Amino acid sequence: MKKAILILLVLCLLPLPLTAGAEQVLNVYNWGEYIDKQVITDFEKEFGVRVNYSVYDSNETMYTKLMSGASYDVIIPSDYMIERLIREGLLQPIDKNVVTNLGCLCEGVLNMEYDPDNTYSVPYLWQTVGIVYDTTRISPEEMEEQGFSAFLNPDYKGHVYMYDSERDAFMVALKALGYSANTSDMNELNAAYEWLRNMDKAVRPSYVTDEVIDAMANGEKWMALVYSGDAAYILSENEDMGYCTPKEGTNVAIDAMVIPANASNPELANIFINYILEYETSLMISTEVGYASSNAQVLAELSGEGGDYEGNDAYLPRSGYSLDEIYHDIPEELRSQYSSMWIKVKLHE
Amino acid sequence: MKSFFRMTYPYILWIAVFIVAPMIMILLYALTKDGNRTLIFRFTLENFTRFFSDPTFMRVLFTSLRIALFTTVFCILIGYPAALFIANLSERAQTMMVLLLTLPMWINMLLKTYAWRGILMNFDNLESEVKVFIGMVYDFLPYMIIQIHTSIAKMDRELLTAAYDLGANKWKTFLKVTLPLSVPGIISGITLVFLPAVSSFVIPKLLGGGDYVLIGNLIETFFVTTGDWNFGSAISLVMALIIIASMWLTKKMDRNAKED
Amino acid sequence: MEKKKRSPWSFMSNGYLLLVLLFIYLPIAYVVVFSFNEGKSMTKFSGFSLRWYENMFSDRTMLDSIKYTVLVAVIATLISTVMGTIAAIGLSKARPLVRSAILETNNLPVMNPDIVTAIGMMLLFIVAGVRLSLTTLILSHITFCTPYVILTIMPKLRQLDDNVAEAALDLGANPWQALVKVILPQIYPAILSGALIAFSMSFDDFVISFFTAGVGINNISMYVYSMKRYNPSVNALSTLIVIVVTLILILVNVIPYIKDKKTLKEETRR
Repeated sequence: MKKAILILLVLCLLPLPLTAGAEQVLNVYNWGEYIDKQVITDFEKEFGVRVNYSVYDSNETMYTKLMSGASYDVIIPSDYMIERLIREGLLQPIDKNVVTNLGCLCEGVLNMEYDPDNTYSVPYLWQTVGIVYDTTRISPEEMEEQGFSAFLNPDYKGHVYMYDSERDAFMVALKALGYSANTSDMNELNAAYEWLRNMDKAVRPSYVTDEVIDAMANGEKWMALVYSGDAAYILSENEDMGYCTPKEGTNVAIDAMVIPANASNPELANIFINYILEYETSLMISTEVGYASSNAQVLAELSGEGGDYEGNDAYLPRSGYSLDEIYHDIPEELRSQYSSMWIKVKLHE
Repeated sequence: MKSFFRMTYPYILWIAVFIVAPMIMILLYALTKDGNRTLIFRFTLENFTRFFSDPTFMRVLFTSLRIALFTTVFCILIGYPAALFIANLSERAQTMMVLLLTLPMWINMLLKTYAWRGILMNFDNLESEVKVFIGMVYDFLPYMIIQIHTSIAKMDRELLTAAYDLGANKWKTFLKVTLPLSVPGIISGITLVFLPAVSSFVIPKLLGGGDYVLIGNLIETFFVTTGDWNFGSAISLVMALIIIASMWLTKKMDRNAKED
Repeated sequence: MEKKKRSPWSFMSNGYLLLVLLFIYLPIAYVVVFSFNEGKSMTKFSGFSLRWYENMFSDRTMLDSIKYTVLVAVIATLISTVMGTIAAIGLSKARPLVRSAILETNNLPVMNPDIVTAIGMMLLFIVAGVRLSLTTLILSHITFCTPYVILTIMPKLRQLDDNVAEAALDLGANPWQALVKVILPQIYPAILSGALIAFSMSFDDFVISFFTAGVGINNISMYVYSMKRYNPSVNALSTLIVIVVTLILILVNVIPYIKDKKTLKEETRR
């Protein structure tokens, strides 16, 4: 046994980093599986730096980690989280003398309400929330006709996946009822809560998170609430699947690169952000991940003729539709209400 | 014996700093509002009244306790014979078996649960509750086996031989000698399985088709998604108190039973 | 021993153990098989391929995560096993009230949901003004591993005959000698089991690691749990772990065996 421990010790000490002291380091914090790893390697080679790449699984875990005072150079949160970070003074402005590639960004991602002049954030990838459905079970016409109200259709009972996220679930209900996804009106929220309870009764959905991707790619159920970037992957794996962006309007989400106020290497962070925007890099990332690129040229090419996502209805997000909304940051009391109500929906109360 | 007790001083210091101090902070959060925004504490019992005024939360807690209880019982039923059989092997084979039981614990739990999801997909007719228990027992069984085995391994062989010599049969020897000696092992096995099982939620969520809202899930939601550390802390304290109370009752009943 | 092995009783018991092992290794086998899957699915095998292995070896974040996982697990196991063993021996001689108070506190990290331990530790480090780093990660791992060591050793200590240690003391041994020569050899299997459990706990932890690790430090679990979409390279990674550990197990078990044979041969030669 002593020998086993010894062998293990040697094994783990062998690859200890032999960091050269002079080397510049960039700490990047991103969602898991949300980049083409080659981009990092290429950036390191081109600029002779070392990138410390870490991952998180949600905006909220990332935010909690930031509260410990951890200092990252580039983070890629979503819109509403950027709004909160700006309000709390946790970000520093982007240096537009360095980040010169902003001109290549597509319409629909720039100058949004959470950061009106893109002072603090540079869009990375974006998406909508929509419905992936089995076209052999539900025809595209039927689906488009029903939109989000398909979640109330008892014919689909036992064949529905609902994404287990209170914010997205309430968005579906609020939109179906014709309200804003950012409402703080308790009457509207209670109506949404009733809507969700009816949904639970009518279709008895399975409440899932990321396992829905594999499950829908295998055609396990008829329909599911999915992010468009994941839907693009599902559609490329299973040709029976279709994607519907509901007519009632939905959530458009933008993940954007920001530099925290306590970043230790903001100069390099700006260089990195500009590098990501470049055509080649954006192409690699969007191709690998399946979420829509914020680079106009890449977006057009990937969804156009001969592109990797040609004919894939989920890749290109709907933009300029007046009923679509970006999430705003909502206060803690309201989030707590959401959580309590969502638990009751899931418990069939 | 005083000199022996001095050996615990380093650890007492350690738990004071790394276990008690953090728990005091959690307690502070449970008794206040907006604690993570400002340094001004507003003491209140609001978080606790919110928990108890809504039967939903208690229901979630009891579902979690029930699943943990059944998991523990299954682990004992399956694990006890295994531990007993292992203890009868040669010394080298025993070490080997313990290692073989621990190795799977080094593979990520989430990954193994995904694997179970894939395996159990082929058994469509299984109730989702059965799937959940397969996953839970799978995850905790090695702990139970190892705990029980540790307590009966290297047990005084002479005791057993003596029992045989006195004319006791295998069954009687087991009841009168082996079982009583293994009780401390079973108790620490229960501790190692039941306590973490109450707050675990990933396995039931993945294998139960999203049909389970459990207390661990609730606490994590309030801590992370909602960012309401005050309420999250309150829930976790209520859970801890109920578990401690139930463990204490079990121990007391055990003692009473012995005295009878 | 030989006679025992042939009896129907041992046939049954070995069969039972085999079943338990099959149960425990079924998902591991599944993971190994799917590490060679061509597609990304964890439920549908679409063809043989080594692409996930290539993918893993070209992914530095993932390789670094193995390094940190093993490093933290080894250090945390060593420290928590030593501290836990010493504390458990001391506790076994403590007054019942003191002992149960300490043991209840000791149970807290086992009982608390990971997120509570994690936030508690993070708050502690914030209040103490300590920047999160590899050290804070190791400190928190020691904190949640030690209780498991103590819980594993305590039952064995209770079985131990008190008189043996006292007799040693009476015969002029100092407490240290009594500890090393008398107590430790008797509880050795329990220490080993405790260390193994501690190692596994550390190896598989996600939530506590996530909130107490410094910038740029990721372990395997942090990598796995943060995957926005399933990356089968983690199957390849697990297969690698299984292979390495199996090799070590074989080495550890075969070397003494060969040694035994050698000495046996030399003896017969003489």
